[in-house]
Amino acid sequence: MLKLDDITVHYGATVAVDKVSLEVNEGEFVTLIGSNGAGKSSTLRAISGLEPVVSGTITFEGKPITNTRPQSIIEHGIAHCPEGRRVFSQLNVRENLEMGAYCRSDHAGIRDDLESMLGRFPRLRERIEQPAGTLSGGEQQMLAIARALMSRPRLVMFDEPSLGLAPNFVEQVFELTAEIRAGGTTVLMVEQNAYAALELCDRSYLLETGRVVLQGTAREMRDNPDIRKAYLGG
Amino acid sequence: MDQFLQHLVNGTVLGATYALLGIGLTLIFGIMKVVNFAHGELYAFGAYVAYALVSLLQMDYFVALVLAAGLGLLLGAAIEFLLLRRCRLENIDEVMLIMIGVMIIMQNAELLAWGGVAKVVPTPFPQESIIVGGIYLSPTRLFVLGAAIVLLLAFYLVIERSRLGLAMRATFQDEDAARIVGVNVSRIYTLTFGLGSSLAAITGALLAPVFVVTPTMGDLASLKAFAIVILGGLGNIRGAALGGFALALIEEFGAAYISTAYRDAIGFLVILVVMIARPQGLFAAKERVG
Ligand SMILES: Nc1ncnc2c1ncn2[C@@H]1O[C@H](COP(=O)(O)OP(=O)(O)O)[C@@H](O)[C@H]1O
Ligand SMILES: [Mg+2]
Repeated sequence: MLKLDDITVHYGATVAVDKVSLEVNEGEFVTLIGSNGAGKSSTLRAISGLEPVVSGTITFEGKPITNTRPQSIIEHGIAHCPEGRRVFSQLNVRENLEMGAYCRSDHAGIRDDLESMLGRFPRLRERIEQPAGTLSGGEQQMLAIARALMSRPRLVMFDEPSLGLAPNFVEQVFELTAEIRAGGTTVLMVEQNAYAALELCDRSYLLETGRVVLQGTAREMRDNPDIRKAYLGG
Repeated sequence: MDQFLQHLVNGTVLGATYALLGIGLTLIFGIMKVVNFAHGELYAFGAYVAYALVSLLQMDYFVALVLAAGLGLLLGAAIEFLLLRRCRLENIDEVMLIMIGVMIIMQNAELLAWGGVAKVVPTPFPQESIIVGGIYLSPTRLFVLGAAIVLLLAFYLVIERSRLGLAMRATFQDEDAARIVGVNVSRIYTLTFGLGSSLAAITGALLAPVFVVTPTMGDLASLKAFAIVILGGLGNIRGAALGGFALALIEEFGAAYISTAYRDAIGFLVILVVMIARPQGLFAAKERVG
């Protein structure tokens, strides 16, 4: 479904992503793990068209999407739930969800999806007219996820959705990602918490300083001695 | 008492146009962080469009108003598209220099095209004032007030209720997140600059029959617009609207009860005080567009 072939991303002289190749098949749950600064977010940002790809190619469902503008990427069916939630803090919950559907023009469909999103997240319904900035961190993450889903994506990318959340919310967020996949949406998730990531996913890639150093099924990765030592605490 | 009410009415009429002028400037600053020194020139541009169409081409004044707004939109969009899109908006110095350049070019182009003599735009309304309870209301000024209020409301609806306004506010708050959900941020910038410019141009066209049209009229308009925006808090649209009324009333009452000669100075004195005492603006609870 999604295929990255040797892509490289620079920030000035810094090479953030160095010839990364990876693949996500339809219906899969794939994770990108690795420590802080490994290039995980940059990889997602390159897919979304937010950072230019210096070399290499990205294809989605066979179509080349390398260096495509973000608004076309979302129209292709790829949604991005960014690191740090990035909800529109002064827009209310409803407006944030409407912005999630910005790329769509089927008004009736948007209304239905908004309703079903509020059914799924009762907390958001209670706070529908409140500015997103007044929600708790966990609620904001729910909103960020719901906003990403409002575009009706076929592939959704989550960037550290559990970051900075209280433990009960972390669990809820991970359950949610699993539900989304079970609902038929393909998931590519970046997660520093390798333990949780490998519990959830089918396959995983380990990034270190911009390179894919290891890949395999969740089980293979969990059983790998290097991963156990460095990322799973022994 | 009649005198007081008369000044209140005059100040309110002027205030409505100041509000339009200030909103255009604060919109551009709020969304794009561009300090638009050419804002007053777009106001002058609108006034000259009215002059050219009404005085020279004998066109209907109301048609000229609509055309001034449309041409202001196009000119603003063109400035953004041709000059600002090419530079990085983060580079404030570069952007300021470009906008100062635009201001100088526009002002001198007006001088070249129309000469330095003040031009008059005839009003389509009767000259005799209507007298209500001892207050004199000129039909032209009444129309200016009505039109300005309609424009303020229309603008409010665009920002608060339309899809474009929502995308503008989202872009203002988090550009990256706006891109992620599919907003064409470059287009939002072009439209923002066009919309802000259009407000300035129609204000100039509205006031053309009230004052005279000169190539330097943009200077004072820019100064006033900045004063209004500072009063209301940078990037704060509601603040700019209130700031416009506040500045006009301060000027009007200052001129009436202190000294006519210092009319403009009184307004700017208040700005100085605000900048010292309350730099975030009089009406700013927080910085926001909307
Ligand atoms: N906007 C930026 N400008 C400069 N360097 C950046 C920027 N964003 C990320 N980097 C650098 O790129 C590298 C990869 O960062 P990132 O993709 O955010 O890693 P991760 O998400 O895995 O923590 C890091 O060395 C980081 O410092
Ligand atoms: Mg990251």
